[in-house]
Amino acid sequence: MSAIWAEGLTKHFDEVRAVDGIDLDIAPGAIFGFLGQNGSGKTTTIRMLTTLLRPTAGAARVDGLDILAEARAVRRRIGVALQEAGLDDIQTGRELLTLQARLFGLGGGVRRERVDELLAVVDLEDAADRAIGTYSGGMKRRLDLAAALVHRPTIIFLDEPTTGLDPVSREAIWRYVNRLSAEEGITVFLTTQYLEEADRLAHDLAIIDAGRIIARGSPAEMKASIGTDVVTVRVAAAAALDRAAEVCGAVPGVERVQVADGAAVVYVPDGARAVARIVLALDDAGIEVGDISISHPSLDDVFLQATGYHLQVEEPPAGEGGAA
Amino acid sequence: MQALATIYFLTLRSLREAVRNPAQEVGNIFVPLFFFAVTVGSIGSIAADAFGIDNFTGFQVPVAILSAASSISSSAGLGTITDIQRGYFDKLLLTPAPRSAIVLGRIAADGVRALVITGVIVVVGLIFRTGFDTGVPGALLLLAGSFFFGMAYSGFNAAVALRTGSPQAAAAGGLLLFPLIFLSTAFAPKEVFADWLQVLATINPITYILEAQRSLIIEGWNGLDLLRGAAAVLGFGIASFVLTYLALRWRTS
Repeated sequence: MSAIWAEGLTKHFDEVRAVDGIDLDIAPGAIFGFLGQNGSGKTTTIRMLTTLLRPTAGAARVDGLDILAEARAVRRRIGVALQEAGLDDIQTGRELLTLQARLFGLGGGVRRERVDELLAVVDLEDAADRAIGTYSGGMKRRLDLAAALVHRPTIIFLDEPTTGLDPVSREAIWRYVNRLSAEEGITVFLTTQYLEEADRLAHDLAIIDAGRIIARGSPAEMKASIGTDVVTVRVAAAAALDRAAEVCGAVPGVERVQVADGAAVVYVPDGARAVARIVLALDDAGIEVGDISISHPSLDDVFLQATGYHLQVEEPPAGEGGAA
Repeated sequence: MQALATIYFLTLRSLREAVRNPAQEVGNIFVPLFFFAVTVGSIGSIAADAFGIDNFTGFQVPVAILSAASSISSSAGLGTITDIQRGYFDKLLLTPAPRSAIVLGRIAADGVRALVITGVIVVVGLIFRTGFDTGVPGALLLLAGSFFFGMAYSGFNAAVALRTGSPQAAAAGGLLLFPLIFLSTAFAPKEVFADWLQVLATINPITYILEAQRSLIIEGWNGLDLLRGAAAVLGFGIASFVLTYLALRWRTS
């Protein structure tokens, strides 16, 4: 049985197709990465799967339960940490976890034990009795993660858990997420706009753009699907870029050229050998090369190949993220 | 059972919030008491001759109670907005707790706050020598009435907060009661009103709530007044809970 399954899942807001008929089939215990830029439909998908939002069309099951007909049962099985750490600044960390545990029906000793255990897991024991309003952004994210785990869910949804965090806090969240999957067998559905995060964490990955899934597979499979190295050429005169792309496309062995963000992105097997041919061809055409680099395919290249543009990362305004 | 437990835990959470934010509670009690003192001080001495009211201080206590309930409920609407904006409301919706119980938790806390503030106003009234004609049982009934009215009125603000998600709209929702108070028998008996105002005061449910409260303080037990007051609170309650339910459904659809 799939941990998460969806068919034709759709959400419209008036004329806007936020999610446009996506299919999902996620294996139990996997870390599933849902990669896309802001506004691509990641959060809307998560809100439908977690019963916060009714789909316009389509069906979905979470842990075998229908998200519409068995919504309350779904909520018992899942833990959710949304993009905005949904916390109450006036309560202390311990009070928030205790209330969360009570709402999930955990009683007496079990509740106290679980709250203490989670505070230790997310390194918040020392701050447990302080008002949440005094926490840094990283501490809030860790507390939010603990709140999502309080009732031992079988599936956890994390909506951009590290957006706006500094590298140390990001690393800490990654460590917890890996531990959840590896040690506790929890299925993790993780949305992100960070390529590195998707690459580092996800066993299985889908790229979403404009409400549709445009690529699917493991990060390694996706990168391998490009089948070539990537040579990025920047020319000295921007006006010559289109002509440069044409010239590159005519070089023997080059499979495809895309123009994006002021550069010609050339897909070619054995890039190290091809780069000399590319430079010579450009020189013959009288185009001065500003910069040239070779790389193995990245998820950004996968994204670029599928969408025609690079993934744009939008960070929250200063002050919303924070240190650990 | 789970619904009752949810209401209980979330009521405690909202009350804890109130205790940790005492400045707001001081504001809720100060403004009604200020107007109470000013009204009694300015026209109290002529009330007997002008309106035929001997105990104008007791006459004004219910107005202070309703004004305080209005302030409390307004702040409750803002509390709901804050929860929505911080994402904490979503966190509560993601628990298996019944969704209506999640909203009722905060509304019940407002009932408790209205009850406490009514107790304070009654004590201040006693210091001003209002007396209390129905004694301790009447005082307990007044507190119970305030609890239910506080909940009912808070429901309107919760509905506005859930439907709009706007702090400005939630604050404005809290002001709904003020015109109703001024169009009731808040400051004088109906008999001295112009004809048009008499009509408005007669169809205004606040009039009946005030008269029920006054009967307990300055008239003694009056079954008809109490029944009318209870019916008015019940009507408020039903209307506000229906609106809150619809707003909650809208927000979660």
